Amino acid sequence: MFERFTDSARQAVNGAQGQARTLGHHHVGTEHLLLALVEGDDPTAWELGRLGLDAADLRARLVRISADPLDSDALRAIGIDLEAVRQATEQTFGEGALDVPAGQSRPSLWGHLPFSPKAKKALEQSLRHALRLKHKHISSGHVLLGALHDEEFLSVRLVTEAGVDVNTLRAEITRLLTSAAA
Amino acid sequence: MSDGVTLAQEAGSRDPAIGLRAVRALRELAERLEALQVASARDKGWSWQQIAVCLGVSRQAVHKKHGGGRRILKKER
Repeated sequence: MFERFTDSARQAVNGAQGQARTLGHHHVGTEHLLLALVEGDDPTAWELGRLGLDAADLRARLVRISADPLDSDALRAIGIDLEAVRQATEQTFGEGALDVPAGQSRPSLWGHLPFSPKAKKALEQSLRHALRLKHKHISSGHVLLGALHDEEFLSVRLVTEAGVDVNTLRAEITRLLTSAAA
Repeated sequence: MSDGVTLAQEAGSRDPAIGLRAVRALRELAERLEALQVASARDKGWSWQQIAVCLGVSRQAVHKKHGGGRRILKKER
């Protein structure tokens, strides 16, 4: 399957590794694929930017919703104001003092991080989308369609939370892919 | 206490998912605060024994958990 990947698609897959590593995550998920696609420099990335998706914003959302077990909503439910704890802690220990996950072991700086089952599924779906559109190659646009395939993907949740309609995005990317006469 | 908080507490007591998430978050919060406080105590020259007494654990336990750090000034227990 990977021999069909264009340079842009390979960059997205490799970029996702880097995204996961930068965030200190131990696997590559659909969310990292999305980040890599947004940070690319090709028509898919430009389209994502045009629709208002920004890598820094998505990364901040990702840190907030997924990676951090310090769930402020859950804490509020038992009467703890995490923001107050954060302020008190930062006053003593400096900004971001509370943001270092406990006992976090740093992932290896080299070697490949494993792809999550959902990220694998997303890549498989990118092939299906290429076949469906009768394209011989899998480009970053197909990877994006794969990453948007399932509502359960974190990538889909991120896109939605950033205020972009997933169906609109799918349609725009499909239009881009079919007009490029790839 | 605001109605919102009361409501949230009631919901929390009934929904195990929220209660369990709160437990996990509390544990994580405690771990992070412990790491900060232990590092700060060591910087101020506290011995592992003093820290252990405050935390209510053995000196070995606290040293094993926090002793592998990247301290510039090597301090004896």
